[in-house]
Amino acid sequence: MKDILKTAKNCRHFAMCKIDYLGTGICTSGLEKHYVSYYPQGRMDLYAALAENKILVTDKCIEIADTCDLCGKCDYQCYFTTEMKPTKVMKALKEHVDSYVKNGGKVHKSVEDDILAELRKIVGDFWATNDRAIALTYSNDLCPLGSPKMPDYVIMPNTREEIAAIIKLLNEHKIHYAIRGNGTASIGVTITEGAVIDLNRMKTIEFDEKNWYVKVGPGVSAFELQKEAKKRGYRVNIAEPEAMICGNIMCSGIFSTFSATYGTAADNYINAEFVSNDGEFFSLNDIDAPNLFSFNYAVTPKPGICTSVNIKLHQMTDDETGVLVPFEKLDCALDFAKDCAIRHIGIAIGVLGNEYISTFMSPTIKLAKDVKEVFSDKLGINFLVLVIGDKYAMNAIKEMGVPIIDQKIFRTLALSLPSLKSAQWLDILKEASEDDSFSYLKLSQFNELAETALAPSAKQLAKEVDPELRPFFEKLYQKPEMTDLVWLNMFRIVSPRMGREKNIFPLIVYLPIDNDLINEINIGFKSIAEKYNLKNDYGFITPLDNGKRCIFEYDYFFDQTDPEELSRIQQSAQELFGFIEAISARTGTVKWIRYFFNQGFSRKENFLYS
Amino acid sequence: MHNRKCIALTGATGFLGSHLLASLLLKEYSVIILGRSTKDETLHERISKLLGWFGIENRLNQITCVEVDLSKENLGIENEEYKALCSAVCSVIHCASDTSFSESKREKVMAANIGNLKSILEFTKNAKADIFHYISTTYTAGTGVTFCREIPSTAKTFTNVYEESKADAEKIIAGFCDKNSIRLSIIRPSIVYGDSVSGRSLKFNALYFPVKSFKSIRDIYLNDLINNGGEKSSKHGIYIDKDGYLVLPLKIYLPHAGIINLIPVEYFVKATLNIIENCPQGGIFHLTSKSPAQLETVLKYCEDLLKMKGIKAVYDNLNTAPILNPAEELFARYIEPYKPYLSDIRIFERKNTDHITDDLQPPEFTYDIFKRCMNYAIDAEWGLNLFSKSNKEKAMSIS
Repeated sequence: MKDILKTAKNCRHFAMCKIDYLGTGICTSGLEKHYVSYYPQGRMDLYAALAENKILVTDKCIEIADTCDLCGKCDYQCYFTTEMKPTKVMKALKEHVDSYVKNGGKVHKSVEDDILAELRKIVGDFWATNDRAIALTYSNDLCPLGSPKMPDYVIMPNTREEIAAIIKLLNEHKIHYAIRGNGTASIGVTITEGAVIDLNRMKTIEFDEKNWYVKVGPGVSAFELQKEAKKRGYRVNIAEPEAMICGNIMCSGIFSTFSATYGTAADNYINAEFVSNDGEFFSLNDIDAPNLFSFNYAVTPKPGICTSVNIKLHQMTDDETGVLVPFEKLDCALDFAKDCAIRHIGIAIGVLGNEYISTFMSPTIKLAKDVKEVFSDKLGINFLVLVIGDKYAMNAIKEMGVPIIDQKIFRTLALSLPSLKSAQWLDILKEASEDDSFSYLKLSQFNELAETALAPSAKQLAKEVDPELRPFFEKLYQKPEMTDLVWLNMFRIVSPRMGREKNIFPLIVYLPIDNDLINEINIGFKSIAEKYNLKNDYGFITPLDNGKRCIFEYDYFFDQTDPEELSRIQQSAQELFGFIEAISARTGTVKWIRYFFNQGFSRKENFLYS
Repeated sequence: MHNRKCIALTGATGFLGSHLLASLLLKEYSVIILGRSTKDETLHERISKLLGWFGIENRLNQITCVEVDLSKENLGIENEEYKALCSAVCSVIHCASDTSFSESKREKVMAANIGNLKSILEFTKNAKADIFHYISTTYTAGTGVTFCREIPSTAKTFTNVYEESKADAEKIIAGFCDKNSIRLSIIRPSIVYGDSVSGRSLKFNALYFPVKSFKSIRDIYLNDLINNGGEKSSKHGIYIDKDGYLVLPLKIYLPHAGIINLIPVEYFVKATLNIIENCPQGGIFHLTSKSPAQLETVLKYCEDLLKMKGIKAVYDNLNTAPILNPAEELFARYIEPYKPYLSDIRIFERKNTDHITDDLQPPEFTYDIFKRCMNYAIDAEWGLNLFSKSNKEKAMSIS
């Protein structure tokens, strides 16, 4: 039971069980009921609370347990990302509730108060609740700097008119509310003791191809949108797959490796509709709309609730591919990435750290550690610059003379990760390339050799996972997209693996691609983390605006179930804030993400250059 | 007051330096080791580990470890300590060197092999040392010569930056010693491999690297044939014959035939000690083999050791680029830095050496010696497993 509770308490709230990113289908009850409570994520929280007697059994609690059909899909989804298998928790939840009821336990029924009655008039009976079991699943966003808040109400509107009515009602009763997309921001903004407005039902996706945009509702996730866009031959610039497009823009603006050419913040959309804080409608194209294109480097209140956004569509070409260019030192990687950005080479560019690459590629924590060691110790690869581009971009990179891990080599490596550690022939590659780092990659038959030596296969990779899940993962890794750099960067389904070993606390700053400045910040982040004994690592850097600026992510990691570690990350945060503020004040060009919340609709020029 | 047998030694943690150190200690010398710590170990810990490898931990009392920085004035140490050091030393052996062949590391190689000379030479002068011994290389002779004499190098062209830096260093040292009336011996070994009797070695580059490369390539195809059905191997005509040999066509393209001048490390040590003890006036000494190995012989040794067939040297001026199979392409990349030494035709005078060492000669490079050395290297996983218990036990039995 301890193991089950541990799994339940370790749910990362990444909401990956709410999107069909592996082609397994999604939890049936979640799709029908929409509340997070009916997805594996909600059930994990609920079980943990019941097991620790933090909540009473309610009628919704019984329904949540009953509607799980133990189909096992969540094991595949969750294992892929976090290496956890939630089905045992689902089973334990059902047994717990069943046993409670059978033993004559009292089932608590929530009482409808006047406000709830009014809310239900707006959205319908099922879509507003004060049931404690449901409220519990909305009470924690795992922000390491905050603490859980149990909301009085959870509301799931389906239209902007309903939202407007809800806002007016809540304002009238002075009830604080929080807006929730998929609740993955982890900065304490989606939790409240008042009302949580969950926008998951609003899943409109309307393409206007003539005008190169797609209008999406606030319940549409990045993965869902990208899937629909790709079907039509387009690409959209999205962040994490589970993040809701509207919420993501509102929180921070969307950035990804594609931001190197597609931009960020206001670059990503054409128009957006809002319900104001007073419950009135406006859209950004209205002549008297609030000026959300401006940027104020300060904590800023929310401008309202974004109810739809017209996202720009980007054309794809059928010759797109990806390469990874290895580097031993960050400086050289930055120089190369900047050069590509200045010269407009590639569509997506990112300077990735070893931790990212090894974690993204590996299906387990253990393998990720081995791979990181092989990359760094045997091959001398500490950084990789990812470039996605068409054949002309690839030709330009070849002409630049750098060694590359092309799509074929990447696939070979990805499907033979378990063999890498014992591959003795790799030992001398580094030694043999002393004169010209990574020059072995320039061998015309390197991939042929690597295939011979490593025998890449989906079976080999799947052997690393839990034996029960191997058949599924073997089939999964046979899919071409699972080793396709373009697809993986478009859909980003491996990004959440960053939080697999421990939960992640990302530190994000915008700044010039100035190697000394980046090194200073990199070292500063590292030393603060080490002072507080926190796992930490360089994340990624993506050039912006043709290499004039970049976005830099550095990550701290924490055990969400360890109060002592949470306390340390809280202490480190104080120091971090001071450190970044000081650099920001000194340089005038370093802007950190803290002030972007509620300002993600702004023009990037207003925060990059002012 | 100088202790006649107190020698300052740099490079004591390197291949030649460490073997030299062990022998000096066994000959009752006191040695002041001028060196550096690493990130993980102090200089003293590094030396203790090495003495353990040699099975002579009991000689620790004969050494003094001094952490120095040769790139700095006064060895980068405090004045008082520097003065004390000067008063204790009677001769200096400068063995420290960056042996990288890589042009991309030119700056680092030049800094180590040239830039660091000033401090150690000034120290030699300030210590009023009797003699400065410089461990150089025969390849300071440069390219374009066939007979290399035991005289100062006048070469203008070199195979790599290492050779160039050593030749430049010889000139600087000779000039300094001449100006300051310090006697100088320049000791120029050729390519040094492990101990021909025990097979033991501390480093596994030079001769070892091509063998390691052959083994790696062999293992790739053996694994493919044995464990993965051999589809990839058969595509390139690679198979295991009835005698259990891996038949792997692997041509090495070279401009012309050559010889490889190899000497074992115990010869290097014995000859160097002879020079140190018997040649107070100094001079230039080639520590080379009078009967260098033919490349074909070494390739045959490799085939026999690794149970391989098909390794072949092809002599061609390469007006057109040959079509290489994947193994050949990889091997060519592996041995690129060493390639000039595979078609070397230089022979080396050793009149001075023969005279001083009483015609002490290195053993002929036989298959038995080759096998012993390579098997040791394989056991030691080319250095990864060097300080394991079993290796230490071997050392104890030998010493």
